Amino acid sequence: MSITAPDTDLTIGWDIAVDDAPVALSARHGLVAVAGADGTVWLLDAATGTRVDTFELPGGALRTALSPDARHAAATGPTGYALWRREDGRTTVHETGAWSSTAAWADNERVAIASGRRAHVLGPDGERLWATEPAASTVTDLAWLRQGRRLAVAAYGAVRCHERHTLKPVMTYPYIGSHLALAVAPTGRWICSGNQDASIHIWRTRDAGELTMSGYPEKVSRLAFDDTGCWLAADGAPDVTVWDFSGKGPAGTAPRSLRCHETVTALTWRPGNSGHLASGGQDGTVALWRATSGRPESRLSPVRTLDGDAAVAALAWAGPHLLIAAHRDGRVRAHRLPSRTAL
Amino acid sequence: MTTPATDEPRDERVPVTVLTGFLGSGKTTLLNRILTEQHGLRIAVIENEFGEVGVDDALVLDAEEEIFEMNNGCICCTVRGDLIRILGALMRRRETFDHILIETTGLADPAPVAQTFFMDDEIAAQLRLDAIVTLVDAAHILQHLDEVKPEGVENEAVEQIAFADRIVLNKTDLADEATLAEVTGRIRAINSGVQIIHAQHAHIYLPQVLDVGAFDLERVLADDPSFLTETEHQHDTTVTSVGIDLPGELDEDRLNRWLGTLLRTKGVDIFRSKGILALAGAPKRYVFQGVHMLLDGEFGRDWRDGEERRNRLVFIGRDLDREALERGFAGCLATAGAAA
Repeated sequence: MSITAPDTDLTIGWDIAVDDAPVALSARHGLVAVAGADGTVWLLDAATGTRVDTFELPGGALRTALSPDARHAAATGPTGYALWRREDGRTTVHETGAWSSTAAWADNERVAIASGRRAHVLGPDGERLWATEPAASTVTDLAWLRQGRRLAVAAYGAVRCHERHTLKPVMTYPYIGSHLALAVAPTGRWICSGNQDASIHIWRTRDAGELTMSGYPEKVSRLAFDDTGCWLAADGAPDVTVWDFSGKGPAGTAPRSLRCHETVTALTWRPGNSGHLASGGQDGTVALWRATSGRPESRLSPVRTLDGDAAVAALAWAGPHLLIAAHRDGRVRAHRLPSRTAL
Repeated sequence: MTTPATDEPRDERVPVTVLTGFLGSGKTTLLNRILTEQHGLRIAVIENEFGEVGVDDALVLDAEEEIFEMNNGCICCTVRGDLIRILGALMRRRETFDHILIETTGLADPAPVAQTFFMDDEIAAQLRLDAIVTLVDAAHILQHLDEVKPEGVENEAVEQIAFADRIVLNKTDLADEATLAEVTGRIRAINSGVQIIHAQHAHIYLPQVLDVGAFDLERVLADDPSFLTETEHQHDTTVTSVGIDLPGELDEDRLNRWLGTLLRTKGVDIFRSKGILALAGAPKRYVFQGVHMLLDGEFGRDWRDGEERRNRLVFIGRDLDREALERGFAGCLATAGAAA
């Protein structure tokens, strides 16, 4: 099967260059945030790529996250974090000296920020609402459950779930090892962590029933559930693997394998119940997949591939028809998929 | 017909130097010297949480030691989670560095640092461990080496010397000749082949410690003719070096079985291993090195015409049984009798 069909309907919406190496993207409500390694965050209009504003996080950036209504943005980095407000461009910088790996918005009013071994939950303008007790190591990833009431925190040795009323976790999901990435099914049924020991560890939220998918060639540092919570995509190999979490879950099943990149550097599900996934590679290629087609254990080929000059640093969907790709050389491109585009 | 040895493609990975040594041994002085001297290298420094490198414009990042075990429970799979994180972020910056220096705390175990470079593929693809450099305070090291530790607790000074590829014997102006001789003897008893550089105020010729390629397989042992030097008198130390030099060719299966079993059962006690081996039927020298149970090996240059096929290897570790190692290794020779 040929990899790329000639394409007339897949177009580049806009193509700009930022003056840094992008490390992260966030796209919400008509806005795109691009974080550069040195700490500048560019806020761009999703439709045109026009710059709306920029803000700085001294000490460099690792991630950025826009609030769902895109009225606020958080950026996190090796020495602290910053919050930006669209209304007047005000930026609050918290130079904590602690490693801040990521930020996750519960809703428009609350954002969780990893700060060293704790997670802080803040209001949109930076006011402290509550914090967790320190984890065993630097927090690596965060995710919200139960409509933003419960916060899952990944660090060495366990995923811990916290709620507002207590410093201590309300639930602990232990597993010895370094949890690099966290994914919670939108249904709340599953908590999954990608691990340094080249495995995915899975807990059934209800009873903490466990499952480990091991045997990956490399560490698993990217995990993503689709909107339905039925499909989990993971890196950890030249292939992206896609596990079926419908019904009783993936126990005893085999994943679909998506083979395109030598090294996977980004993956993101297209919004909506489409089964479409975008992945990016070290070689600069962006691939689009019908990731849930075929049978379990089948090896799929990309439906489309898009070339880039430098490694893909991050991917994000600004709605189902606009895929944003940030490349290491500073190029940020919006690929437009008109609604009639049949993937 | 034998093909002439060709130059290997240049290793483009960024070299990383690990600097260990007790508090007061001069690590900060050496780091500041490295950052201020005119050597034309762009160096990023990852200093430990107590570090105090004070050079403007230098890229200095702080690391707090986070030692991670894996779920398999193997001690040899421990890595430094903080370094994986920081090195990963460093490599995503647009500007690249010519060199990275990692300063460990005085009490750090070098093993998880070294193992990080073997265990993490992303790091191994972009960075190479260049050398472990240990600073030693000539006037105080004996006291540290003789410190009695509680059962099960490692003497960090011994470990740092055992793991070292280069030792900077610093503050030689503060120790008399007899002390220096004793210190040298004690260092050699632990790590017989290590290159010792004498210094005052951490003043050394930097190419002696930067980009030396100590973990470069092709250079392992090559520039180190002294690695088999026997120490004349064994001190009362449990950490020693055992060097083996054996002519002949090895049976690959037997070697794999022996080395595999050895590292599986004794890997915890074997800190470092290195070797250049002659495998039966192989035109090239087989070069390997390891940290605890983790081993990295590949074929190096061709054996030259007329060059004697011989095997040289060295183990540095705790409670090594020289006789058993020699016997086991001799049993791997292709000419040895059927394996027991």
